[in-house]
Amino acid sequence: MTSAVGRPVQRSDIAAKVTGQSCFPQDYSSKDQLYAKVVWAAHPRARVLHIDASRASGVPGVMRVLTAADVPVNEYGIMTFDQPVLVPVGGETHWTGDRVALVVAETEAAASRARDLIDVEYEVLQPIIDPAAAKGAPDLVHADRDSNVIQHLFVHRGETEAALAQADLVVEATYHTQCVEHAYLQPEACLGYIDDEGRVALVVATQWPHDDIRQLAHILDVGERQLRIIVPAVGGAFGGREDMSLQPLVALAVHLLRRPVKMVWTREESIRGHGKRHPFSIRLKTGCTSDGRLLAIEAECVSDAGAYESTSVVVLSDALSFIGGPYHYPSCKVDGYTVYTNNAPGMAMRGFGAAQAAVAYELQMDRMARALRIDPVEFRLRNILTDHAVRLTGNRMPEGTGARECLVAAAQAAGWSECEGHWLAPEITQPALAERRRGLGVACTYKNVGYSFGFDDKSTARVCLHLEPSGQIARATVYLAAVEVGQGVTTALAQIAADALSLPVERVKVAEVDTATSPDAGSCSASRHTYMSGNAVYLACQKALRERVQALRGETGEQTIEASYTYRGKSRRPTTDWDPVTGECSPHFSYGYGAQVALIDVDTETGEIELLKVWSANNAGKVINPATVYGQSAGGLAMGLGYALMEEVVHEAGQLRTRRLSEYYVPTALDMPREFVDIQIEVPDPSGPFGATGIGEIPLLSTAPAVLNALADATGTYLDTLPATPERVWHALSPGRHAL
Amino acid sequence: MAQLSFVLNGCPVCASIEPGDLLADVLRDQLGMIGVKVGCGEGECGACTVLIDGKAVLSCIYPAPKVAGCAVTTIEGLGTSDQLDVIQQAFVECCASQCGYCTPGIVLAAKALLDANPQPTREQIMVGISGNLCRCTGYYQIVDAIALAAERLTGGEP
Repeated sequence: MTSAVGRPVQRSDIAAKVTGQSCFPQDYSSKDQLYAKVVWAAHPRARVLHIDASRASGVPGVMRVLTAADVPVNEYGIMTFDQPVLVPVGGETHWTGDRVALVVAETEAAASRARDLIDVEYEVLQPIIDPAAAKGAPDLVHADRDSNVIQHLFVHRGETEAALAQADLVVEATYHTQCVEHAYLQPEACLGYIDDEGRVALVVATQWPHDDIRQLAHILDVGERQLRIIVPAVGGAFGGREDMSLQPLVALAVHLLRRPVKMVWTREESIRGHGKRHPFSIRLKTGCTSDGRLLAIEAECVSDAGAYESTSVVVLSDALSFIGGPYHYPSCKVDGYTVYTNNAPGMAMRGFGAAQAAVAYELQMDRMARALRIDPVEFRLRNILTDHAVRLTGNRMPEGTGARECLVAAAQAAGWSECEGHWLAPEITQPALAERRRGLGVACTYKNVGYSFGFDDKSTARVCLHLEPSGQIARATVYLAAVEVGQGVTTALAQIAADALSLPVERVKVAEVDTATSPDAGSCSASRHTYMSGNAVYLACQKALRERVQALRGETGEQTIEASYTYRGKSRRPTTDWDPVTGECSPHFSYGYGAQVALIDVDTETGEIELLKVWSANNAGKVINPATVYGQSAGGLAMGLGYALMEEVVHEAGQLRTRRLSEYYVPTALDMPREFVDIQIEVPDPSGPFGATGIGEIPLLSTAPAVLNALADATGTYLDTLPATPERVWHALSPGRHAL
Repeated sequence: MAQLSFVLNGCPVCASIEPGDLLADVLRDQLGMIGVKVGCGEGECGACTVLIDGKAVLSCIYPAPKVAGCAVTTIEGLGTSDQLDVIQQAFVECCASQCGYCTPGIVLAAKALLDANPQPTREQIMVGISGNLCRCTGYYQIVDAIALAAERLTGGEP
């Protein structure tokens, strides 16, 4: 039998997707369903003085107007319970995505009409919008905290100041990355109902159904067994569905009214109502020897956490942990702060802190290489992390470190050549038009796979073998709540199970995610499911095979064999949190690596950048499915291109100025480089299933720095603020020049 | 309330509409065409693309009364899982769908493109789907799929 792993096995969900038969949450309805609509906070920071629902309640069909007084326990949050379900009278709004009331009505039209008739009286307060200023300010976003700084994290290792003082070259720069919207194509929607066993059941797109249940049980003050989440087709996630959005509202309405309730957000509500990628400001000061050996890095990072904590501390942790890039620095002094403001909350987004860090450290590497007149590939390779090398946090890299392989592959594909240890960039022909300049940029990046900093990351899989009378395995069903958000995890896990069981992949079914039957596989984030749930599925299959042998020996006549396995990340590589004194730690158990080379043209008259060609090499450890890995690579490039050139959520005094897709530029087919070379690298991680590690986030990381380094190659100018819009590029290329 | 009659996926249908009703809502809510996806409500993302008399139209901003007497094709009017049409089959083979929310709209945009231009260049394919956003794939596998479908439809490959 040919192995399933390593082949472009057809996605198990694709026939339903191309025929429109896939059901997303908005496609579910229930007889007798009610409709719910939110009253959003009108101001980013205001005290709610009074809520008058009398006019709304008079609208025919309105069942109930819910306010904070109706919420059993009015707090939730993925890390800290600092977010209210509904802002209470007397309480303050913290961003314009706060919800003040919920209208439930017999029809959607009645709910909408009534929503517009709810009168909320506010005392408007001055919003806190600048994280740098908020850092030490006495005016607090959350009055019950002693500071707007949620957390200060650091790692101080070695004699950084002395090393910088002795360095042949010191480069200092400050980078600013922007607020980004996930812009998954499917806006939030949910159908809630009371199921046959009396549970509050939600059909909803989420990345971690079991964690939603943990938070919802707290809100409703019920046991977790009283709740159920069914995850149908999910229209993209990218981190944006890790925090709950409309789940608390629908669960509350169903819990109180005991009727099915449906809520569908418009795109405007989606953009308003869920968190964003954290904007970061990152100051770097790095030093190296004249022959290109890195000596020390000093970094100060400030991230805008916005209104609620969410995963801001972990995003900051990742940013700090990766701020040196995949390079060895003998000493470091790294500090970071994540700060509350009245802007949209910073939440998880593909790249999770490592994306912001990559922009800073890869521009910094390029600046140093340029100043030393060393080829940028060669400079990186002189310092690159390899197996067992000491990384920024003081611990050693594990086996399977694939940064070098990615960088070499991307550079060679793009035309670099090596001669006696020296690397030579390819000659590029400049365009005929004088105002167009062509440049080639490189970037090499890495990121953790799985949950870090001592978190007990685990995934549980249950495998059911259906036996023929002869005892042969007829087919297998795998149960686990590893959410398919489009990345292809369901197919990859079926492939892993098929090979573990020596079954054709067509005879393996991964059951749909329903917390009533699917064990907790952890979150669909941190590029972790192929690695974590792949290990869980593989080991559950092995356990089932052993139990099958025992059943056959005992001639028990059993027709089905079931086995569960919980894979823990720490079982092979324990991780630790920041040391309180030095900050040194062993934060991550597995990593993904990538490198990209970007060829661009920049029009110096208009500031426009055209991406001509990208070479993208990513280490999957083992490619489980080359077609879906290619999809991650190309999709990551598209999202990275948007990050580099066009995407930005603009706030003005805490109000979103970016409210809809016509005001937010997601790359189209025409924005993609016409030539794309995907290179799949397989430096195995011995702790992963078949050597696989994660790939989901990696292809996004290198795009923005590679493009900005290409801009510098073309023009000699580094742009330190994203995105590189034509206006920004134009101004950077011509300081002092004014637009006509 | 007015009666609206048109041909949906080859069958005559009737719907009761208000003057301001949008085609996407009528197709989804009254006629059960859940393959019509609404992503933005302002004609930006293309997820709601349907064909009206063979032309790709954004149904989330298209007034429903205007389809009176027209032939409307939604994704449900192409192939089924057991019998995919050529474009859908190419999407399956090229792994041209990830989350799938944009897919019905892009398949229909591709159909309109190939009906009008059976042998498009890759650049023409990219222009043809440039009104459809996909946040997952980076578009290359989609362009590959449409190119493959074009080849098969014009007899270039069995």
